[in-house]
Amino acid sequence: MPRVTPPSAREEFLAGAFEIAPLLLGLVPFGFVAGIASVSAGMTPLEGFALSVLSFSGIAQLIVCQLVAAQSPVLVAILAGSVVSLRFVMYSATVSPHLAHLDRRWRALLASLMTDQSFSLTTRRFSAPGGPANRHWHTLGMSLTMYVAWQLTVAIGIVAGASIPKAWSLDFAVVLTFIALLVPVVRTRADLAAAVVAAAVALAAAGLPYRLALVVASLAGIAAGMAIERTRRR
Amino acid sequence: MSHWEIILGVAAVTFLLRASFIVFADPQRFPHAFRQALLFVPPAVLAAIVAPGLALPGGALDLTLANPRWVAGVVALVVAAASRHPLAAVAVGMPSLWLLQWAMG
Repeated sequence: MPRVTPPSAREEFLAGAFEIAPLLLGLVPFGFVAGIASVSAGMTPLEGFALSVLSFSGIAQLIVCQLVAAQSPVLVAILAGSVVSLRFVMYSATVSPHLAHLDRRWRALLASLMTDQSFSLTTRRFSAPGGPANRHWHTLGMSLTMYVAWQLTVAIGIVAGASIPKAWSLDFAVVLTFIALLVPVVRTRADLAAAVVAAAVALAAAGLPYRLALVVASLAGIAAGMAIERTRRR
Repeated sequence: MSHWEIILGVAAVTFLLRASFIVFADPQRFPHAFRQALLFVPPAVLAAIVAPGLALPGGALDLTLANPRWVAGVVALVVAAASRHPLAAVAVGMPSLWLLQWAMG
């Protein structure tokens, strides 16, 4: 039987919170490492927590911590944080048609809480049959749950950071979480070309100052992906 | 060294990039090539972060067996790709690294 009335705001919010719950498990080591990284980079606990609360992006937080640890200039640190956050533009473009009916405050709120995980679940929820109705509450339930869980694990990392022995090589867990994010986004031959070229250039250009290699390698990878995509279309 | 300028700068940038299309722009009005380029941002950026983390442990390229990170990383990559489980890379990669470090003394 199809429902006559769409789910209420409350039902949507709770459904969103439950749907994101299994993904929180993968968040815990990541947030923990992000918290540790801020302290070991030389930030005060307050600075590390502010970075997390205000930017809510594990990747951006980790890159900024690396650059702070390397004593990079302010603008270089911000530039690197921007480059790794460029994927949000793609998410924003994908999600925006679904949120176009909302007022500006709702759109700003949901945009500010968007993550790699909530982006894909939001797209799925809005693509289900039926009108948009209260579905923005689904996104909010998901995003807020994730936001609270993230800040908690980062806080634990900040507090516990100092007492973790260096021999555990926990910084390697950061690289591994990036591998976990990389694997599912490599779907086509063009994606693979983008990844392989970016990796090769990142190693070849590693001598560039201020970790500019990240910027150069990303652009080279994007160009490679587009070139493969173009030959495939022909 | 002012960390606050970096913190506020990154906070502003991450918000503006997230809000770009949702709050400010009409996605239909952006050129096709730009939207296509955005599709390759995740694989390119993530690979550009991962590669140095595995192959440049001390800042210099090291693809010998004396560097356990790239070995453990490749193991994690293969297992993550085969299992498609979000926790596989960390669950396999960390023990692999510890094992290799222990084996090398």
